[in-house]
Amino acid sequence: MSLGTYFDQLEHDVLAAMRKPSKLYWIALVVSAAAFALGLGCWGWQIYEGLGVAGIRSPVGWGVYITDFVFWVGIAHSGTLISAVLFLFRAKFRCSFNRSAEAMTVIAVMTAGLFPLIHLGRCWFFYWLMPYPNQRHLWVNFRSPLIWDVFAVSTYFTISAVFFFVGLIPDLAIARRRFTGWRHWVFRILSLGWQGTAEQWKHYAWLYMFLAAFATPLVISVHSVVSWDFAMSVIPGWHTTIFAPYFVAGAIFSGTAMVITLVVPMRRILGLDNYITVDHFEAIAKILLFTSLIVSYSYIVEFVLAWYSGNPFEIAHFSFRAVGDYRYLYWLMLFCNGLLPLTLFVKRLRRNLKYLFVLSLFVNVGMWLERFVIIVSSLARDFDPYNWGNYAPRFVEIGVTIGSFGMFFMLFLIFTKMLPVLAIAEVKEHAS
Amino acid sequence: MIREYKFDDKAAFLHQLEELVRSGVHPRRLTVTTPFHVHEVEHILHLRPSWLKLFTLFGAAAGLTAGFAFTIGTALDWPLRTGGKPIVALPTYIIVAFELTILFGGVISFLGFLFLSRFPDIPAIVAGTECGPEFIIREDTGEAV
Repeated sequence: MSLGTYFDQLEHDVLAAMRKPSKLYWIALVVSAAAFALGLGCWGWQIYEGLGVAGIRSPVGWGVYITDFVFWVGIAHSGTLISAVLFLFRAKFRCSFNRSAEAMTVIAVMTAGLFPLIHLGRCWFFYWLMPYPNQRHLWVNFRSPLIWDVFAVSTYFTISAVFFFVGLIPDLAIARRRFTGWRHWVFRILSLGWQGTAEQWKHYAWLYMFLAAFATPLVISVHSVVSWDFAMSVIPGWHTTIFAPYFVAGAIFSGTAMVITLVVPMRRILGLDNYITVDHFEAIAKILLFTSLIVSYSYIVEFVLAWYSGNPFEIAHFSFRAVGDYRYLYWLMLFCNGLLPLTLFVKRLRRNLKYLFVLSLFVNVGMWLERFVIIVSSLARDFDPYNWGNYAPRFVEIGVTIGSFGMFFMLFLIFTKMLPVLAIAEVKEHAS
Repeated sequence: MIREYKFDDKAAFLHQLEELVRSGVHPRRLTVTTPFHVHEVEHILHLRPSWLKLFTLFGAAAGLTAGFAFTIGTALDWPLRTGGKPIVALPTYIIVAFELTILFGGVISFLGFLFLSRFPDIPAIVAGTECGPEFIIREDTGEAV
């Protein structure tokens, strides 16, 4: 096959995925939208009735909402990892995943960003988090990790969205040529008049490199800042120096799992088997295995630090994690995140897409549980036994959590039909 | 008069481009469009490195300055000691300054890209100028049609 024919086939195949949706697609979209509507309904009910309808109360003031926030920020991480870090390392397999992963990042940060608002209860006062000159000249406390979070997450969203859009520009120009009607006009405007001249490509390559170079430390900083929401406190189980790297590794681990969860069915439904190959999945499975080992190591270090600290509160807390009221969740978390991914040492399993898909679902569950265990078990047992108390989420929290998954999958499904799901120009570059 | 060369193959395109430059055609009289970034084109046409790095440097420096100025300025605007920490707690402000360095650096780089590439190219959008999957060299021969 000549290069010209291959390019033509590539453009046709990738853009064909944006044509008329199949029945399966509509079913998935309706289910996701229904879940999203359930979440909105639950949130609306909470706004109407007050935060008391949720299960969070003293001593567990941070429950499922903050678990969801950390989970979705973590999911967002792999997008930038695959895009930016692998770009800087010139890993060729990235071009099969980077567009989906970048879209996943933008959507996951949008989903994560809702949770602090939901958790606020009176969400219309969210602007109190913003540093603005109010009438008393009283500014936000920049020494608080919660304010660092505002800066980190909003910067992450902005840079991820810019990175996503910049990567799309050459492909939007291809879509502009291939589509007619209203889509042609949308792509004509969105592609900004891209012609692919040497000058344009020159500036584009520099911009892409700079954005990748900015995004890489940003990935590390954002989840480090999220971890400091906990580690800057003195609560047993939270106050530890390993939290930043532990959370960053966990975020990349969960994000990689979510990429597999999304891309395995997407590849099949959109007929992209020739472009997203088993070799590519094997490469990403290795990232999953590697990050799983780091996360497992962190689980061990946490216990060792507590044990050798000689601090009775730390020791008591970690004993509570392993054999206390949340022990089933803890052991299930270890199984999903530490034990099950070890099977990826077997090459045959790394190359089995059905197995990878099921494994990624377990990792998603395991990583959600990890955040729940860290947040809830620490708050449930702090220093003073008179202040102990367990937490279980109520219907409204479960509904909002289901709604967040609905929102995430709904927006991702819309993305697959609105924008090219593969970086066409980049695949061409590698093919040439 | 514009003379146009179209290629499906990258190697043939680069060969022709080199031939044209070697034969004495000034790079300014050549317009090259490619379906993806071809690094060799910049060397053959002796294109200057992009000025984009200046926008990036300015953006990052502005973000860093703004991050420290904002946090220190607001702390001094209403001195309120909390948790026994100093009024100007520099280590904690590094995080805000770092995030703003990235934010300003990234956004100003993007704006610089739009400026240097003359985007959005309104005449091209209105006229509906397309770019195909081929490698194209357009040579302005300077002759009247």
